[in-house]
Amino acid sequence: MSTPAPPAEAPGSTTAGRLSGFLRSGGVITPVLTALLAFLIGGLVVALTGKNPLTTYQAFYEGTGLSWLLPWTGEREFAAANLQSTLILTTPLILVGFAVAYAFRAGLFNIGGQGQYSVGAIVAVYVGSSLPDLPGVLHILLALLLGALAGGLWAGIAGLLRATVGANEVISTIMLNYIALWIGVYLFGLMGPLQNDTDPSLPISNDIVMDARLPVFWGDAELQGLHVGLFVALAVGIVFWVLLNRSVKGYEARAVGFSPDAAAYGGINVGRTYVTVMVTCGLFAGLAGAIDVLGWQFRVATNDIQGSQIGFLGIAVALLGRNTAVGTMLSALLFGALLQGTNVRNLDPAVFDPALAGNLTTIIQGLVVLFVSADVLVVYLYRLRRRRNREEEAAPPGVAEAAS
Amino acid sequence: MLLISSKRVIALGLALSAVAITGCGDDEETTSSASAPTESAAAAPPEGKKITVGLVTDIGGLNDRSFNSLANKGLEDAKSELGVEGRVITSKSNSDYVPNLTQLARQKTDLIVGVGFLMAEAINTVATKFPEQNFAIIDFPQAGLKDTPENVKGLLFKENEAGYLAGTLAGLYAEKNGIDTISSVGGQKIPPVDGYIAGFQAGAKEASPGIKTLNAYSQDFVDQAKCKELALDQIDRGSGIVFQVAGQCGLGALDAAKEKDKLGIGVDADQSFLGDYILTSAEKKIDIAVKNTIMSVQDDSFMGGTDEIFDAKSDGVGLGEISAAGQEFAAQIDEVKTKIAAGEIDIPTEVK
Repeated sequence: MSTPAPPAEAPGSTTAGRLSGFLRSGGVITPVLTALLAFLIGGLVVALTGKNPLTTYQAFYEGTGLSWLLPWTGEREFAAANLQSTLILTTPLILVGFAVAYAFRAGLFNIGGQGQYSVGAIVAVYVGSSLPDLPGVLHILLALLLGALAGGLWAGIAGLLRATVGANEVISTIMLNYIALWIGVYLFGLMGPLQNDTDPSLPISNDIVMDARLPVFWGDAELQGLHVGLFVALAVGIVFWVLLNRSVKGYEARAVGFSPDAAAYGGINVGRTYVTVMVTCGLFAGLAGAIDVLGWQFRVATNDIQGSQIGFLGIAVALLGRNTAVGTMLSALLFGALLQGTNVRNLDPAVFDPALAGNLTTIIQGLVVLFVSADVLVVYLYRLRRRRNREEEAAPPGVAEAAS
Repeated sequence: MLLISSKRVIALGLALSAVAITGCGDDEETTSSASAPTESAAAAPPEGKKITVGLVTDIGGLNDRSFNSLANKGLEDAKSELGVEGRVITSKSNSDYVPNLTQLARQKTDLIVGVGFLMAEAINTVATKFPEQNFAIIDFPQAGLKDTPENVKGLLFKENEAGYLAGTLAGLYAEKNGIDTISSVGGQKIPPVDGYIAGFQAGAKEASPGIKTLNAYSQDFVDQAKCKELALDQIDRGSGIVFQVAGQCGLGALDAAKEKDKLGIGVDADQSFLGDYILTSAEKKIDIAVKNTIMSVQDDSFMGGTDEIFDAKSDGVGLGEISAAGQEFAAQIDEVKTKIAAGEIDIPTEVK
């Protein structure tokens, strides 16, 4: 204790140390246990409906197409198509997972992934469906960039409100979700300014022009084959890791997440960090929306904006992935596979009622969020209590500590 | 104080997000009951060739008590009466249509039925990719498909004839009970909706020449509150009978009629299950259309590249159950229907 070190570097002695220790030690085992427990309870629910949980999960597994990776098992054509779908769903989940995870590392709850995703999709579909003369690659890059930026700006509003007037980002991001939703419904709705030009009865955007669609590298481009957006998401995974663990910005974000007071004491501008962190999160989520639109959806309908849950799923993805780069990507794959595996089109009704399967996905999602957020919440509340206790204690010990 | 409130805020946030995450899968619970009749009817002897039929619903889900549930009923009837094998795939978003149709096509399903005009583009893509399979699309003309694939048949309905019958009944009832205004709530100003409304207004004016007709569009097919608001406004302006032409949204209009002790008229499917206040329903017999189409595939008479139009003559459109209040006019309605079938009445298709 001869030099004044930030509390963040004293593991165990502070909440910050506890949190980082929690993230490190629980890193691999707790998420796996969480997922297993959720699947176990899900299996009990299946058993309660009178079906066999094992054959049901077997059917889910077949629906994910993951068996394609084991070429000696089963048939190939359907498995390939299913795996393509799984990975198409995994791509945006990785990115919205990062959007939640990065904020979380800075001590912020980004519940606004959905709104940022929608804003990214809205801007990308506008850019991608106009400017038909722009060369393909340039057009794609422009749409991705502007979509991501739109998401960044959107999330930045919440960061700015937090930094300037202290508005809690949980509330503001949730409210921004609704604003994004209704802006989208207005823009593409009947007689909206961006409604499609061909059929005035459909509340849907124009189609992305052919040249601006992401290339498909596996499967049939017209039948939703796998597009190159997956590689973009994986590359962003590397960016996320470097940003978080090897950059000044990431260090500042983590320091603020450990303890805003200590970070401020260490010379970090906490307010500005809140803004940059939220903007970064928004970039991830906005990019997810842009990739979905340019990669396989090609248009945005008002009921898609209203029905999309992908940003909310990002919360579960990030929580289960423990807010790390690799964890979030693996967790995105799990949820992508779960969504695809329980998809109605793949389930034989004799094995398990497809309509119930969709609800089972929701149950498993909910359980994961519940289990993970339960222990995260415990740590969070513990941290609040400690801080309050510290404040209630007299100032002298703190001064003495700083002086020693 | 501040700390406590922020703690609450976090808990609220997590609770809200959990609600958002878990709140998405509630629209499909009735699928299980929908598929139940198959088992009881499994004993029926198969009469024709064993064919497989796939049905892809739009995002309304199977319990929409409308297009999707009617199409499903047609398939269920075909399963029990014709001995075909059937499979229903529900869609959760617009981007589900292509993979859902593709899945059935890859499984070499003999007939693939897409429910609703929202699926037009997806049907066009998949049918072009799989020319060996037969496709049918409800409520969309084959010629309207971009590549006009020859293996697709459009199943169309004369909404204006069903609307005319409903309007006639409404007019007769209004005349007898001293109602001077009736109204309709449409989802959007699109041909199928306007066909119903134009027929409704024409029928009502023919039955009760002095009657006033109100009409409004909700610009929505989902949100019941919007249609309810419009219907309440119409009732305020004197409407005694509300005709809904707005799918799920329109149920709100019927709810308004119930609340204000007025009568309602259902659309697309028989909506008499809602209660006695439903005078009748202007029906598209999608179940019959689906069953007939399945039959045509079974006996090899299916003709792709064309449309089949279901009208009063073929009993493809008509009225659902008429409530006790309207029963006294049932005979007159039958007369009008015969006239329509004979082509004696010229019914408009556009709302003026």
